Amino acid sequence: MAAWGADAAELVDAVNGAAGGPAACSGADAYGIDGVTPKVAVRPAAVDAVSAVTAAAHRAGAAVTPWGGGTRTSIGNLPRRYDVALDLTGLDQIIAHNPGDLTATVQAGVTAAALQRTLADHGQFLAVDPPLPESATVGGALAVGSSGPLKWQYGSVRDVVIGMKVVQADGAVTKSGGQVVKNVSGYDVARLHVGGLGTLGVIVEVSLKLTPLPAHETTVTASYGSASDAIDAALDIFGGGTAPLALTVIDASAAADFKDLESGACHLAVRFGGRPRAVERMVSEAQAASKRHGCRRIRQADGAGAASLWRQAADFGWDTATRPTVGVRASVTPASVGSLWAALQRQGTAPGGRTALVGHPAHGIVQAHWRSDGAQPVDEAARAFIRSARRAIRAAGGKMVVEQCPASAKAGLDVWDDVGDQIAVMRSLKDQYDPRRVLSPGRYVGGI
Amino acid sequence: MPDVDPLVNELRAIVGNDYVIHLPEDLIVFEYDGSVDKAMPSAVVLPGSTAEVSEVVSAASRAGVPIVARGAGTGLSGGAVAEQGGLVVALTRMKRILEIDPADHLAVVEPGVVNLDISTAAAEYGLYFAPDPSSQRACTIGGNVAENSGGPHCLAYGVTTNHVLGMEVVLADGSIAWLGGRTRETPGYDLRGIVIGSEGTLAIATKIVVRLLKQPEAVKTLLAVFKEMDQASSAVSGIIAAGIVPAAIEMMDHFCIEAVEPAVNAGYPKGAGAVLLVEVDGLSEAVEEEASEIERVCRSYDPMEIRAAVDEEERARLWAGRKGVLGALGRLAPNYYLVDGTIPRTRLMEVLARITEIGDKYGLPIANLLHAGDGNLHPSVLFDERDPDQLRRTMEAGAEILELCVEAGGVLSGEHGIGLEKQEYMPLMFNDEDMAAMAKLAPAFGSRGRFNPGKIFPTGKTRAPIPHAGAVARTGAGAFI
Ligand SMILES: Cc1cc2nc3c(=O)[nH]c(=O)nc-3n(C[C@H](O)[C@H](O)[C@H](O)COP(=O)(O)OP(=O)(O)OC[C@H]3O[C@@H](n4cnc5c(N)ncnc54)[C@H](O)[C@@H]3O)c2cc1C
Repeated sequence: MAAWGADAAELVDAVNGAAGGPAACSGADAYGIDGVTPKVAVRPAAVDAVSAVTAAAHRAGAAVTPWGGGTRTSIGNLPRRYDVALDLTGLDQIIAHNPGDLTATVQAGVTAAALQRTLADHGQFLAVDPPLPESATVGGALAVGSSGPLKWQYGSVRDVVIGMKVVQADGAVTKSGGQVVKNVSGYDVARLHVGGLGTLGVIVEVSLKLTPLPAHETTVTASYGSASDAIDAALDIFGGGTAPLALTVIDASAAADFKDLESGACHLAVRFGGRPRAVERMVSEAQAASKRHGCRRIRQADGAGAASLWRQAADFGWDTATRPTVGVRASVTPASVGSLWAALQRQGTAPGGRTALVGHPAHGIVQAHWRSDGAQPVDEAARAFIRSARRAIRAAGGKMVVEQCPASAKAGLDVWDDVGDQIAVMRSLKDQYDPRRVLSPGRYVGGI
Repeated sequence: MPDVDPLVNELRAIVGNDYVIHLPEDLIVFEYDGSVDKAMPSAVVLPGSTAEVSEVVSAASRAGVPIVARGAGTGLSGGAVAEQGGLVVALTRMKRILEIDPADHLAVVEPGVVNLDISTAAAEYGLYFAPDPSSQRACTIGGNVAENSGGPHCLAYGVTTNHVLGMEVVLADGSIAWLGGRTRETPGYDLRGIVIGSEGTLAIATKIVVRLLKQPEAVKTLLAVFKEMDQASSAVSGIIAAGIVPAAIEMMDHFCIEAVEPAVNAGYPKGAGAVLLVEVDGLSEAVEEEASEIERVCRSYDPMEIRAAVDEEERARLWAGRKGVLGALGRLAPNYYLVDGTIPRTRLMEVLARITEIGDKYGLPIANLLHAGDGNLHPSVLFDERDPDQLRRTMEAGAEILELCVEAGGVLSGEHGIGLEKQEYMPLMFNDEDMAAMAKLAPAFGSRGRFNPGKIFPTGKTRAPIPHAGAVARTGAGAFI
């Protein structure tokens, strides 16, 4: 089918007409992806308007990219076409919070921080901690599908969704799931959209399962001479009797970017929550494990100190201060974290830049960041880093995605890992739900 | 009914003569006695490996014969019933636990593995598989995946989808694919999550990678007996409001108590109107504190009695009452129709009162047993199927209960699925566009009309009762729901 061929003014008119007035944002420049600027950006304030805009684009054969807080738009292959930025931050209503049911229903454009604040007033939270929560929207966090350190204890991002309303590529508004925590009525279609990067539909409303805030929280941070000791200590705690909320290893290079971590050492940060006496015991077991693995120094932080550490860990690589030239996110099994880490660390000595590693061994996530020193042609060095990271991750039996990469280095590069035999079904899902390739064409796995 | 004779020969060549059953008299022996399943497949095949499943599916596909996958046949919504005939692919021979990986806390199993066997095998490493449907001694992991099954302890730990990392599947064209994997994150659409709960309509699971959890170091079980159902409902809300999500909160009403007490002597006092069974687990320090907090909450609703199990034996005794209900309902009426629905847990009191009214309206007692912590109700309409009028009233009462659940902000099924049982009720929750979006999945998987046709979506036919007796019998002695 034809890509959007007519001039921008006509598309702007169509979108404005659909949005029921001059809804288009003036500065489409602010919505660039990999150096591509859309012809128009629109920020509807109601689900109906999202539907109308999408339908208009569908009729026109224009390509639409849903836009949340814009915090992680670097994830994805180069856009094949990009005509309309659909900014969803106008859908910012918390529709319902039912504390007694531990559920909430929110519009997709609510920021993660705004939601957490509302929930915290009732002693609850959403067990998802995306980077940059003041900007990141709930819809965006779900569309990306991966989250921060807070994952092992409470499951994955996908596990918090109990119902969803989606605007389909042709503008139809459909729902699935419900507002209760246990439900097997009909297909769980929301699964397609969590981690689907907005390529099968636009998430406009979600119902979420909430968690009571732990009565008490504390964080133990131990420093080590080597990353392998820190990882061994982490796996020791993972295999032991305690149940941390998060377990994060930060290598010496990454530690330099953290405010309160001593540089020149690797760190293991362990977050505990629960009843005070239980937390006390978990802390002493974590300290014992740390000592067994030769930690140099142990510190414990509560309140603001701990919150700041975990904020930095979740934001790592996404805030301007720590944004790498290339960021690779790997997923392996816990037992393979150590060997992957060692292989990735060897690359840090390669010329042209510096590698920093942050990982969550209990769920097998390792973020490998490379920051160019600007001395060499960046694209070539970036590709070389990605190639060797891919090799290391494959050897460790893992999967990866390149989350950050200079646009100029993305040509000819697939930022996603091979998905194997599933690709046929994934392609036919795209054919079914978005046959005219309206939604972010080209950015997803296999060029979907 | 499709003619399967030419296919039968092909199937024999694939799996061997012994594993193809197609003569009516043999099918009857193979659990299809017509009275409990009300539909007879044209043939049953029992493949022994993924490769055989793949070949069987290809052969059936070429012959244009639809396939119904089957585990243990304990499903309660008619998912494994071959309503349109066709080929039943029984996965029960594929029951090997291929791997237990204690370092990564996962297991790789074949679909025919019985749910409880995973935990039994993992126990030596101090690990277990958390989803625990009450049928766990009989039901298979393949069936759990297809139904996204839950269990009494899914309140704190989640249901099947929260514990499956990946799976190997056979698609309707016979091809084999891995969805998800051993790692927590895999790129691409979450096809794993789509297949889980798809009731055998999209793919046949042939290997499943499940997460294992560490066995809790301590468990504490409390029984709280109340005069009134309302008090028990308020106590449930009170526990959640106190910021506690116990491992399980089960509830039974006076009909259940009346039926079960003489049968198992659980020690429920005379005149009890409701029983709550609450279980907490985890670190011993946390368990102690939470248990006393729960006790404090329950005390504020004027209980007749609160008892805490002091040892494993007493814990089993407290559960015995809950587990004995289903078997004991026979003391009250020849048949029961157990309805499965979920409501927001804060509306328990009001919905339970309305269910009593529905029972009164149709002149049939309705016994309530529920996974109260997550609002999952199992109202059981007591009736005598020999009386056609009672049967009609039972179905109408069941329909009204489901309407009530949806009206209260709840859903049609909490754990048993839609299948044949509830397909006509889908429009209560979903409009045509919602269902059209769901209906795109089968063509995307290439399984439309091939895997388990005629399920989930409304057909416009009148609702026929789905007999649960067969499934319950297959679960074996002591079955509970
Ligand atoms: C006494 C009793 C108690 C129960 N308690 C609970 C409970 O607490 N929680 C709960 O959730 N359920 C419960 N159930 C319902 C039932 O046990 C579950 O739905 C169970 O998961 C079904 O497993 P099965 O092996 O018997 O599957 P079957 O009944 O054989 O099949 C169920 C569905 O799964 C499909 N299927 C089976 N194997 C595969 C496969 N390998 N690949 C793809 N599709 C497949 C079938 O086509 C069918 O649609 C209970 C049932 C009984 C009788």
